[in-house]
Amino acid sequence: MEQRYDPEKILEEMRSHFQGFRGWRIAAGILGAFLLVLLWSTWFTVQPEETVIIQRFGAVHRTVGPGLHFKLPDGIERVRTVPTARVLKEEFGFQTTAVAIAGQRTQYADSKAYKDVSLMLTGDLNVIDVQWIVQYRIEDPIRYLFWVRDTRQTIRDISESVMRRVVGNRLGSDVLTVGRVAVSTEVKEEMQKILTEYEAGVRLVTVELQDVTPPDPVKPAFNEVNEARQDRERTINQAQEQANREIPKARGEATRTISEAEGYTLERVNRATGEATRFRAILDEYQRAPEVTRRRLYLEAIGAILPEAKALYIVDSEQKALVPWLPVESGQLPQAGGSKP
Amino acid sequence: MNNIVKVGLGVFVLVAFLVLSGTLYTLEEGQQAVILQFGRPVGQPVTDAGLHFKLPFIQDVRRFEKRLLIWDGDPNQIPTKGREFIWVDTTARWRIADAKKFLESVATEDGAQSRLNDIIDSVVRDQVSASELVELVRSASWEVPPGEVLEEVPAEMQEELKKKIARGREEITRTILAEARKIIPQYGIELVDVRIKRLNYVDSVQEKVYARMVSERKRIAAQFRSEGEGRSAEILGTMEKALRQIRSNAYRQVQEIQGKGDAEATRVYGEAYGGDPEFYAFSRTLEAYKEGQNKNSVMILTTDSDYYRYLKKAGADPVRPTP
Repeated sequence: MEQRYDPEKILEEMRSHFQGFRGWRIAAGILGAFLLVLLWSTWFTVQPEETVIIQRFGAVHRTVGPGLHFKLPDGIERVRTVPTARVLKEEFGFQTTAVAIAGQRTQYADSKAYKDVSLMLTGDLNVIDVQWIVQYRIEDPIRYLFWVRDTRQTIRDISESVMRRVVGNRLGSDVLTVGRVAVSTEVKEEMQKILTEYEAGVRLVTVELQDVTPPDPVKPAFNEVNEARQDRERTINQAQEQANREIPKARGEATRTISEAEGYTLERVNRATGEATRFRAILDEYQRAPEVTRRRLYLEAIGAILPEAKALYIVDSEQKALVPWLPVESGQLPQAGGSKP
Repeated sequence: MNNIVKVGLGVFVLVAFLVLSGTLYTLEEGQQAVILQFGRPVGQPVTDAGLHFKLPFIQDVRRFEKRLLIWDGDPNQIPTKGREFIWVDTTARWRIADAKKFLESVATEDGAQSRLNDIIDSVVRDQVSASELVELVRSASWEVPPGEVLEEVPAEMQEELKKKIARGREEITRTILAEARKIIPQYGIELVDVRIKRLNYVDSVQEKVYARMVSERKRIAAQFRSEGEGRSAEILGTMEKALRQIRSNAYRQVQEIQGKGDAEATRVYGEAYGGDPEFYAFSRTLEAYKEGQNKNSVMILTTDSDYYRYLKKAGADPVRPTP
């Protein structure tokens, strides 16, 4: 209030006193305008996501929520607005330059400066490129404003330090694959613990890993490992496929040859049984008249054979030298010597 | 007369205002103040925000931060115990614990920052140089997780990983904080926390690390490929074994079954033909003649054969038994 009573202004007013009635009116006018300004500063509205802290002579007097509120004029009471319901976001290793509107792609800036943030060492002393975000809400606006200076920078520093510690306690391959969720959970818990120790008045909503990749120069080599892993699976599958194709086929073929062998056996036994029965039957009859049957069988047989022969020579039983007159080597047999019955 | 009263009133108001404005002062939330009397601090620092009184003209107010403040050091290139150069970027949190001492020793925040630079930088340098790089990266309690992630770590690196380390990152950080705290209270400063924010290889080392990572990856890739081929050969071998087993087994069964059949047939024949072996020989021989390939063959029969006996003479012979 005291700064409003500008000594110069008072002198001005006092000088105007000597100028009489007109001076008084001007003074009243100035005073009226001054009061109006003071009056104007006695009310304010608070947006739904905000909390307002009212400081009287610098000290925190009260906090108010959304709506229309009144206060003592400026100089006595001052307001500080804090968006307590809004979720605030910090990005690490990248920066969103243009937020997507209705189906457009979000654009990110990516530069060397961000690499300083995102490149870190893993437990196996390799380098990994981790990008992440931290979302938080201002839980206690008084602590947020008056207990820690530049809370945002504090959140950034803690987040970087904790993320490096957590990643340092893991293998690079772990962070790249299965460890992502565990890393973000661990970072969130540890960050919250430190922020609570600092009494920063901040509640973390989430910590989430974004792109986690090997550093650019190493990426092709990492891809090669993935390809090799695929190759391995492919080679194994191919072999398995061949085995699956050939073994059942061999089994079928084995069953077939066994069945065929069984068929052969059946045939062999049946034939034997048949032939044996036939022989026994003939033998029975033969035994009744052996001599005649024998001769008959013999003659029948010769009779069946002879028409098949190419040539037949009938030689007198006294003739001994048979060979000399047969033109065996020519193959052309003279018809005069023989006859076909 | 009236004018004189007016002037007097004006002067009084002016003087009253000056006295009042010299007596009253406000202290913002998050600030503290030291009252100086002729440049010398008097009384305890004022830490409550709000409207306060002091003696006008002879007392002066110096305001300081009460909040937690940031100290952010420049990144330093420091060699570790293993002679590797690394970038270390530390950050610290501090607050003015004793405003009077603070005013006397460093006077301003800038002064404090430069003192902190000197102290923390040197402590960090000492501690980093006395530690292995691994100790700065990992916790002492850390152990290699079991399981498949190790698949991608080369064998000798695994050995390296399993080595116990004497101090971990937490302990180094704690030591830095403790060492720095020893010196700092004389400045009226409370050092709340010191953290290693960033830790990275210097560029030339980074190149080498990348080269190592690439070669490591290539080795792992080769290992995967050969593993695949190995497994494939194993599967094909097993398949070959199974095939041979199936086929030979089938062959054995075929032989057994056929043998049984042959034996059975032999038995049946034997039993039947045993009745008259001579007649069997006779009839079977005749059968064989008939079945034999007689086409294109030349037959020579003598006239005393049974078949042509009557070609020479029609008389009855005493019948001889046929051979």
